[in-house]
Amino acid sequence: MPNIFDIKLVFTQIPALLEYLPVTLAITLFSMIIGVVLGFLIALIRIKKVTGLSASLAVFVSFIRGTPLIVQLYLSYYGVPILLKYYNYYNDTEYNVNNIPALVFVLLAFSLNEAAYNSESLRAAMLSVDKKQIEAAQSLGMTPLQVLYRVQIPEAFIVALPTLGNTLISLMKGTSLAFVCSVIELTARGKILASGSYRYFEVYVSLALIYWGLTIVTEVMLKFIENRLSVPDAPIKKVGAVSHDRN
Amino acid sequence: MIEINHLSMKFQHNTILDDINLTVAKGDVVAIIGSSGAGKSTLLRCLNRLEQPEHGELRINGQSFDLARLTRRELVRLRQQTAMVFQQFSLFQQKTALENVMEGLLVVKKYSRARAKEIALAQLRKVGMLARADYYPKQLSGGQQQRVGIARALAMAPQVLLLDEPTSALDPELVTEVLDVIKQAAQEGNTMLLVSHEMDFVRQVATRVLFLEQGKIIENGTAQQVFDNPVHERTKAFLARYNRRFEPEYVI
Repeated sequence: MPNIFDIKLVFTQIPALLEYLPVTLAITLFSMIIGVVLGFLIALIRIKKVTGLSASLAVFVSFIRGTPLIVQLYLSYYGVPILLKYYNYYNDTEYNVNNIPALVFVLLAFSLNEAAYNSESLRAAMLSVDKKQIEAAQSLGMTPLQVLYRVQIPEAFIVALPTLGNTLISLMKGTSLAFVCSVIELTARGKILASGSYRYFEVYVSLALIYWGLTIVTEVMLKFIENRLSVPDAPIKKVGAVSHDRN
Repeated sequence: MIEINHLSMKFQHNTILDDINLTVAKGDVVAIIGSSGAGKSTLLRCLNRLEQPEHGELRINGQSFDLARLTRRELVRLRQQTAMVFQQFSLFQQKTALENVMEGLLVVKKYSRARAKEIALAQLRKVGMLARADYYPKQLSGGQQQRVGIARALAMAPQVLLLDEPTSALDPELVTEVLDVIKQAAQEGNTMLLVSHEMDFVRQVATRVLFLEQGKIIENGTAQQVFDNPVHERTKAFLARYNRRFEPEYVI
């Protein structure tokens, strides 16, 4: 049988590819964390309708959602150095663009992208919180901040979790675009490997398997968290637990 | 001692509360009755400022609050003097019965976890919910949820307990268990303002009954006075249906 498709290579090169898994995971995690925190702030500002800020953030969200991720990466990669040059010009400073690692541009673009998308799901989740529970918390004498972190955030988080999981998964696969900013992660590593052996198809099959595996692991983890957080319909009987179970 | 002075509230052009003045002595159980839309719930909700009235002063234990203009700090202080029991129970859905009762003690009163738990368990025992302390609201019946709601309010040791139609969302079988708990709390000397349509219960438990009509108190007296000898025509009409039950269906 001719060796047109080298199925063995698909698996044997996976360890070499996985050397760059940490880069992919680092970009994903960092952007997700910044994206959730920033997205939450945007959501709060838009819910509270903070004058001026609210409208400009709406424009920001619209822009991010209205442009392709790859274009945003290019904007970050070429735009930040230009901004820096202007800054140097007007402030008589000598910051060198070449000292900034390429990863920074990638993280910037991904974080802002995530923040925009997350802000919308978090906004919806915050608005979905039962008004009766908020009133109950207020009537106990909680300050607005206490109501926010004792009632609104825990309630909203559960609603937002599936959507946040969705964006996490698409972000993880989106990191494969980081090569346009000359950051080497899983996909870029694959391309480099293939350019030596000319076995491009095999490398893409390996990559597909890796991304799929990562997604499955993420899905399982999300499902686990969701199960842990959701209140079961029937009470769980603790066997042998010492408790206050006597009237 | 609680004093409400000149409490008024408008919603656009509708007057919801019209210059309400009321004094409630410590340990009083004041029942507010009246038809739907008379302003009963709004009156209670104004007292812990879930609604903002146009005018109105509230004095609790010598502290005076201008209900129309409260700073954030005053607002929190006012709400710590009052506690509310809601028609729809309004328990925190992500917390167990015990955590629901502990919540205010931990977050607002800043009690230690051990002390909060001790108080919460004692309150749950009083309302007969100790065995269900680890249940979540959606695992409880309506009556049980409302008993937890009452425990949550009482745990805060408020100067006045505000009960906003506490049994209206319950089926007749569950009403009794909740009313028993309220009665017990009344007998323990808690000052209460109670909005209710349970006339028999009001008659039993209230030391004073107010009849509210279009935002005005038109009747104010003991249960006996208001139920047996109402002054106002409107009150007579409202109570006619209730009183008719004592008459025979047919007279031959």
